[in-house]
Amino acid sequence: MKALVPLYLQQFKTTFATMVQYRASLFIWMIGHVLEPLVYLVVWSVVAESGGGSAGGYTTAEFAAYFIVLMLVENTSYTWIMYEYDYRVREGLLSPALLRPVHPIHADIADNISSKAITMPFMLVVAVVLAAIFHPVMSPRGWALLAAIPALVLAFLLRFLLEWTLAQAAFWTTRVSAINQSYFVLVLFLSGQVAPLSLFPHALQIAASILPFRWMLGFPVELILGRLSPTDALLGLAAQVVWVGLAYGLMRVIWRAGIRLYSAVGA
Amino acid sequence: MRYLRIFGMYFRIGAMGEMQYRFNFFVHLFQSILQLGMALGGLAVIFTYTHSLGGWLPDEVLALVGVYTLVGGLIGLVVYPSMEQFIMSVRDGMLDFMLVKPADAQLLNSLQSVDIWRLIDVGLGFGVLIVALTRLGTQIGLSQAALFVGMLLTGSAIIYSFWTILATLSFWFVRVENILEIFRSMYEAGRWPISLYPPWLRFTLSFIVPVAFVTTVPVEALTGRLSPQTFLIAAALAVALLAASRVVWKVGLRQYSGASA
Amino acid sequence: MTSPVIHIDDLTKVYEVTERESGLMASVRSLVHRSREEVRAVDSISFDLDAGEVVGFLGPNGAGKTTTLKMLSGLLYPTAGEVSVLGYTPSRRLNTFLRQITLVMGQRNQLVWDIPALDSFELNRAIYRIPAADYRHALDELTELLELAPLLRKPVRNLSLGERMKCEIAAALLHRPRVVFLDEPTIGLDVTMQRRIRDFIAEYNRRFGATVLLTSHYMADVEALCKRVVVIHHGRLLFDGDLSVLVQKFTSHKTIVVQLDQPGADLGRYGELVSSDEGRYTLRVPKAETARITERMLADLSVVDLLVEDSPIEEVIERVFAQELE
Repeated sequence: MKALVPLYLQQFKTTFATMVQYRASLFIWMIGHVLEPLVYLVVWSVVAESGGGSAGGYTTAEFAAYFIVLMLVENTSYTWIMYEYDYRVREGLLSPALLRPVHPIHADIADNISSKAITMPFMLVVAVVLAAIFHPVMSPRGWALLAAIPALVLAFLLRFLLEWTLAQAAFWTTRVSAINQSYFVLVLFLSGQVAPLSLFPHALQIAASILPFRWMLGFPVELILGRLSPTDALLGLAAQVVWVGLAYGLMRVIWRAGIRLYSAVGA
Repeated sequence: MRYLRIFGMYFRIGAMGEMQYRFNFFVHLFQSILQLGMALGGLAVIFTYTHSLGGWLPDEVLALVGVYTLVGGLIGLVVYPSMEQFIMSVRDGMLDFMLVKPADAQLLNSLQSVDIWRLIDVGLGFGVLIVALTRLGTQIGLSQAALFVGMLLTGSAIIYSFWTILATLSFWFVRVENILEIFRSMYEAGRWPISLYPPWLRFTLSFIVPVAFVTTVPVEALTGRLSPQTFLIAAALAVALLAASRVVWKVGLRQYSGASA
Repeated sequence: MTSPVIHIDDLTKVYEVTERESGLMASVRSLVHRSREEVRAVDSISFDLDAGEVVGFLGPNGAGKTTTLKMLSGLLYPTAGEVSVLGYTPSRRLNTFLRQITLVMGQRNQLVWDIPALDSFELNRAIYRIPAADYRHALDELTELLELAPLLRKPVRNLSLGERMKCEIAAALLHRPRVVFLDEPTIGLDVTMQRRIRDFIAEYNRRFGATVLLTSHYMADVEALCKRVVVIHHGRLLFDGDLSVLVQKFTSHKTIVVQLDQPGADLGRYGELVSSDEGRYTLRVPKAETARITERMLADLSVVDLLVEDSPIEEVIERVFAQELE
């Protein structure tokens, strides 16, 4: 473990330099990541207003809180590793990663965290601005905020492991973008980005809880907003741990299969 | 006329290139249906909590989703791939081949690449639109239909000019393809009536990244909400942007060809 | 007297390049003050081409050949001077002008990659507005001359480099242009294919009387095709005249590279020693003497390897350039 620290530090430096170079892409990326929750924020506010001030247990102000917090939580758990792998396969850049003595996932995690370290301040500024415009209201509890820390970490791990594993599909097929897209649609819908999950029909809520998507995004948001009872919070954390374990196991299996295939077929 | 024939050729070429990978059709069909399904799902959830969205009936919003998908398909069919290819051709010098041809370079570059699978979106969007209109049951009179088509064309002209101007920036700046991404992110917001958005967002989506003119406005025409101001602004904007895109193109080309200022 | 098809007078192209040294201080400085340097890619060249001429435009890489071609085809605006092709100003890029010229760039493909060449031809037909009958004729002729029959229906990506080049050339000639610009058409091709393309160009010119301006840094291209050559170097015109004159004057020597068993031999008596390195000697000998000297070296010395080369074009050019100074 200790040997990984210099690796992570080095990756921070590399990522930082790259991001400074690609400032424009960063800005454009941010637009997308702000606009989406913003659009849903507005839409649901309108729905709430027409429903006499609230809809499905959320007032207009609470919707604002939900989507602003969602935007920030999304920024902590978000990964782009699937696109990255698609690119690497197409450009033939996979072999160098495989030749390293360290599991390539570490470099990818380090890159991800470093990028977020850079973008988070900007997102926070945007969040403050949005709060000034939309006047969100939330009732966070102390213990919930404390519990949110592991929840966020677990959410990130879960999402990263899952999407990293999916990214390995690049070993088997060139149709990665199709898989990517289908996955993202599901995530969008079932993780709470379209609407707080409690607003969905019951069947979908159950599906979202059984599947890992709620645990990647919706759950930490609900926790931070103070909408969960201690029992629910505990159960949620447990569900996250279970899913992280499953994702990790899946990752190991797929990774080994991928290596075998890659070395059999050659570079 | 002649450029229609040339477009036909590019379409044929695009089709031939893709037809070899027949499996792609099903992949793209699946993707398009998934996207549409998600949009419709979102609609369904929202309308369990309200009967109208900012004054829009569910089926009117459905019509908007239809137009959104349809227009998205048209943009993805030829505008986006052609602009992408144009930007690359500026960088790798392939643009020279276009410039040496006896045809208007701007038009050639706008038509050169066709992604035929986007027709799936056009079809799906059109289907959704028809369903929505039937459910609205309304009196879509001839004048409204004509206005709708007119606004679609106007909106398309606006979007096309907008894209052209952005792409032409690659004559001056190197890493421009990212700019095209801005549009794609902002286009998402076109799925909802822009009257919902706060004024500053409405303004952005109308005049900075003109998504509104190609989604909300045509549907307004269809459902009889089109105000005369919007109509005039759309028309004026279309003419102005078309002219501007032509000027920017010519200037950019002179820059590329090393004309002394 | 008929006016020349191509007329260039004092043609100049100057590029401004921003100079920047490496290092942090230099980049900070460059924010405030950009030092600009002028690069004269083409420097006051003048020549004329009459209808039906095949002229070789020779020079090493970076000499200004491609820049000149681009100005002739309307892709670049000249900085100064006059250029007129078929009576048109190329940079105005009138369709009536563009329809009568063609530009082929070696190693650059305009054929669409995934589909058969024939379909790319059809695209050109639409763009150049070639009438159906003329198109048929041109296609048949080109197919015959370039032996395209087995190639036309294969996707371009499945063709070899040489086959692709043949199709490229055909695509460029479907509209029967009066002026043909060929920019390094044989670069990267194997020797047989190079010869085939040269033969084709010669035949095409013979049959249709098109004016051909061919750039190359291969002497062989020019020797095979052009009676007249124009030599350019550092943007300046160094020679414009008969090829035979150029050959006689400036390539009177050949280069022999010989690898000996043991180093230390004195080869001065065979020819002018250009360089020696660990038993590998480079000699310059008069062309007429080459066979005789080679024979003697093979007899006298224990030769491991021996190679006879034309003087490299750079050397020829340098000599032309040196001559100019005298």
